[in-house]
Amino acid sequence: MKKHFALLGLIAVEVVVFNLISAPPLGSIGDALNYFGSYFADILSQSAPILCLAFGMTLVLMTAGIDLSVASLTALVACVMASLDGGGGSFWVTALPVGLALAIGLGITNGLLIAWLDLPPIIATLGTMIFYRGWCFVVMGDAEKAFLVPGYEVLGEFWFVLGCVVLLYGIGSAYLTRSRWLQEILFIGGNRVAARYAGLRVGWRLCQVYAFVGGLAFLAALSFTARNGSVSGSALLGTELQVIVAVVLGGTRVQGGRGSLIGSFLGVLVIAILDEGLRSSVRWGDAYLPFRVSHLQFILLGLLLVLGVWINSRPRRS
Amino acid sequence: MRGLPRPLIYRLIFLFCGNLVLLLLIRLLLKEGASFSQVLSRAGPDCAPTILAGLGMTGIILTGAIDLSIAGIVAVSASTFGVCVYWNLPPLVCYAVCAVTAWLLASFNGRLVRWLGVPALIVTLAGLTFYRGVALIVTDLGIPDFGGNLSVHADQYHEPGKLYAGSILAVMLAFAMLWEAFGEIPRRWLALGNSREACCLQGLNVDHILQSAFSSGGIFFAAGTLIEVTQIQAIEPARIAVGFELQVIGAVVLGGTNIFGGEGCYLGAVLGAFFLYFTEQVLIYAGVSPYLQDVIIGGAIIVVIAMDCALHKKRKRLEELA
Repeated sequence: MKKHFALLGLIAVEVVVFNLISAPPLGSIGDALNYFGSYFADILSQSAPILCLAFGMTLVLMTAGIDLSVASLTALVACVMASLDGGGGSFWVTALPVGLALAIGLGITNGLLIAWLDLPPIIATLGTMIFYRGWCFVVMGDAEKAFLVPGYEVLGEFWFVLGCVVLLYGIGSAYLTRSRWLQEILFIGGNRVAARYAGLRVGWRLCQVYAFVGGLAFLAALSFTARNGSVSGSALLGTELQVIVAVVLGGTRVQGGRGSLIGSFLGVLVIAILDEGLRSSVRWGDAYLPFRVSHLQFILLGLLLVLGVWINSRPRRS
Repeated sequence: MRGLPRPLIYRLIFLFCGNLVLLLLIRLLLKEGASFSQVLSRAGPDCAPTILAGLGMTGIILTGAIDLSIAGIVAVSASTFGVCVYWNLPPLVCYAVCAVTAWLLASFNGRLVRWLGVPALIVTLAGLTFYRGVALIVTDLGIPDFGGNLSVHADQYHEPGKLYAGSILAVMLAFAMLWEAFGEIPRRWLALGNSREACCLQGLNVDHILQSAFSSGGIFFAAGTLIEVTQIQAIEPARIAVGFELQVIGAVVLGGTNIFGGEGCYLGAVLGAFFLYFTEQVLIYAGVSPYLQDVIIGGAIIVVIAMDCALHKKRKRLEELA
């Protein structure tokens, strides 16, 4: 719980610093409420894909695994859906089910490689990351394809995203925290050999986790394409790093056996506010810094990752 | 080969035969007028950055650590090289700055892993993005009104990459093989990768062993980085070497090095790098779409490693029982 308060403090500091730099002058309390309302709505809508992926990544890290292919998987699902988009209402009955089946299928593929063939998760998902990204370019080439489906943009709007977040991180996380399923996942992450000897179906559970990540990647693809309106083969390149940073910052141990879904939610907010803050500080940066302020994002992302893991590992060391 | 575990020997034989088959395919696919010897002579210099970085990475992985930040290291080294070129410093100074930067950063990664007690995977994953940011800032600070890329036209700044790449590779490779065969330090890396506790009980300083892997890996990274940076015509800190770490790790793991440490050899990394390179060449000569090449290479990495894991699944389970 202390870590969650620390993350909330970090979020507050970020909001204050970045708004001092770049917010327009606010004349009254009403103006301020309006401004911050739309500010947080924008942050939430923008970070929807990362929020979906972070939920899955938290479960994967709890099993002592890692999934480097989440961003490529999401991009591939988005590319396939875009290629099936004919601009009419048939999208909902063709592209959408195909996208969902593909996402879960690719998630199961990752799970089978790790659980059935005993491939180290980092190697299996490194391979599938290259493999899925390659398919993105095979499907799309160098082109960028727009989504022409009427009403599709609703999936990227604030209220839909808020509904998904409440469903996932509110109801879903409350249910999972009390479930035997999550306890088994944590047991597997804590000691896989012991879990196997205790009679748990380790392989089956791992497959379920990776299939679930696939399903979440489908949601991420929907929210990403609905907000952006288009997709290309290089979409979401490097997003896996942001997802891992957010999850680790939220208190999930990379060695498995411990994690927090609410922490991951707060971790994503930290990253999203940082991202948005640096983007809106360009003018300030040009005036006061000898380099482009956007470059700081790479540095801060790296520092946050190390800091997050270092803080998480401190009690273990002591 | 003596002293290597049997599965590793099988992997080396498989890769060696695989490379021969790929060369045969290239020979068959070559069009009239194209020279096979030219293909062979180009392979060394083209593969040199991957092989050299793979040698460095092998040492690090043998200890149970990993360095995912090599693409970031290449970017910072390229930026410092670009700044030196921009200020018209002599070529030798530019080369030295580039190589020393790469070595210092790789060694610094080792220090960070020791100081923070955080897994190398995380420290270097953070380094991957951190160093990319540093590279961008260095070029912004060092080159007034930097537009995103710097063209390096003068031939004297391309000598290590274009003239001496093969020679540098041969020298470093000979050094690595001799060191692995007769040196004590590579054996300590294997010991650390197998059991940290056993090393501590034996009285070995595990921190020093880990640092030696990162520092000596840095020497190989420095040579590879120098070749990579001096082979290209334009330096773009935002794009240079993107995905290079995947290529290098792919080569090392294909070469039979256990990603969790304790098992592997330099020869595996060399054969793995050539295997990936020749696969790519076969696809190019066969006229396969460049988009499909990534799919096939990603698939090849998965299939080879999956086959290996499937073959040793039973042995692994028995080890768990013991």
